[in-house]
Amino acid sequence: MSLLDVRNVHKSYDNGVEILRNVNFSMERKECLGLVGESGCGKSTLARLILQIESFDKGSILFEGTELQNKSERSLKPYRKNIQAVLQNPASALNPKLRIKDSLMDPYLQFGSLVNLKYFTYRSEANFIGQLLETVELPRSFAERYPHELSGGQKQRVTIARAISIEPALIILDEPASSLDVLSQAAVLKLLGGLRETLDTSYLFISHDLSAVQEMSQRIMVMKGGVIVDSFEKERLFCSERHSYTKELISMFE
Amino acid sequence: MSILSVRQLHIMGKQNDIVKNLSLDVQEGEWFALVGQSGSGKSMTAMAICQLLAPNLQAKGEIWCGEKNLLTLSSSEIRKFRGKRLAYIFQDYQGSFTPFLTIGQHFDEYQRTHLNLSKKARRQQAVNALISVGLNEDIYGRYPFQLSGGQLQRVSISMALLLEPDILIADEPTTALDSVSSFKVLQLLSKLQKETGCAILFITHDLRHVRKYADRIAVMKDGAIIETGDKNRVLNHPQHAYTNELIQSSPSLRRIPFKLEGVSG
Repeated sequence: MSLLDVRNVHKSYDNGVEILRNVNFSMERKECLGLVGESGCGKSTLARLILQIESFDKGSILFEGTELQNKSERSLKPYRKNIQAVLQNPASALNPKLRIKDSLMDPYLQFGSLVNLKYFTYRSEANFIGQLLETVELPRSFAERYPHELSGGQKQRVTIARAISIEPALIILDEPASSLDVLSQAAVLKLLGGLRETLDTSYLFISHDLSAVQEMSQRIMVMKGGVIVDSFEKERLFCSERHSYTKELISMFE
Repeated sequence: MSILSVRQLHIMGKQNDIVKNLSLDVQEGEWFALVGQSGSGKSMTAMAICQLLAPNLQAKGEIWCGEKNLLTLSSSEIRKFRGKRLAYIFQDYQGSFTPFLTIGQHFDEYQRTHLNLSKKARRQQAVNALISVGLNEDIYGRYPFQLSGGQLQRVSISMALLLEPDILIADEPTTALDSVSSFKVLQLLSKLQKETGCAILFITHDLRHVRKYADRIAVMKDGAIIETGDKNRVLNHPQHAYTNELIQSSPSLRRIPFKLEGVSG
């Protein structure tokens, strides 16, 4: 059974604009699947559908074989525990009025009894927060700070720590490095790559930056105008059978 | 001949120096790239050139544009330089436009400040400028929020080049755009530069954006330029460890030959 199955998903808005058309793909455990496309092509909408924060018109999304659409909020909870997200803008992903430690504790407290930690251990709050901060290579003293006292790259590390704190099976990374400068970008991508291996989790890595996707993922999907036009193993990126749009994207990076 | 010459520029904040002893020369018609990570003082340098710094920041040194030292000019004198001799494009395209004015009204304000044209001539000039950056005539009547980021950035370029400035200061014009739009904007800038012959001071943190178009590169770190040189020299034989680090971290597509079908393919 696949970890995630997206079958014939359609999404349009009331004004008739079609955002996603017939999206089909599946993801295996421990895999990093890349999704690349220009802005407005529907990448982030797809992420929101998988996260169940927006509904869709047709098709189905199955997580470990279970349909997610139309479930009650209560019965969704075990799935929410297993699907976490890291978004593009870390400044808006952290509550400015909460100390870093309180933001980091939030998922653990939310999902309480559902959390079954393998990698981290929960002895005390301070100890747990310390482990999380260390894992994302931040000093333990940051626990007491507020988001505005951190740089963009540091804030993004905190949102990563928060996403991994309950050891989800799938993390959706929606442009996690795009708002950072190149040096922080490289550091964050390297951190994420290492974490996937230690934590045995899967990533859906969304980006407009083909080179970052190439670096992170094993498989790559290319999206254009709400349709997945190409899907292939990373090694086959430069093969001649690639879709013309994929080739166009490649040419922009050379 | 250099169009813009910055000599020993210091920018001082309340507590610390933001830019220290910075000197650079931009030659006529060249694409000069100023590269560095966030907080290195790139934008502050750009802002100091036209006296656009916040009042709590002080600039010292000399900035020569032709026969004038821009730092010594009064606010009415510097206005004659802005737009006509020096023009800007900023990273934040949303902040460059007033949300309740149409694109046409933005053009009109700009033209009435700097030129003496009839209403009809102003409109014609604006429409021509929009067409020159690959936009449709109907953009003239639209509001900023009705345009995409890439389109707005094109409008700012067309407006910045309207008065044929000697130098265009482009402060991270593609950083907020996705890679497809930024590719198109860069291509457009390079085309327009060839047509108008204006120099470009291009500020970025991403070396990928300058690999193709820049003539010379200066690398900035902690408020000072640590390395300047011809593009190929800096990219292929960086002298400074930090430059090398920047080059290594800027991601590029790696052409890994596909081993299984490497021979046949």
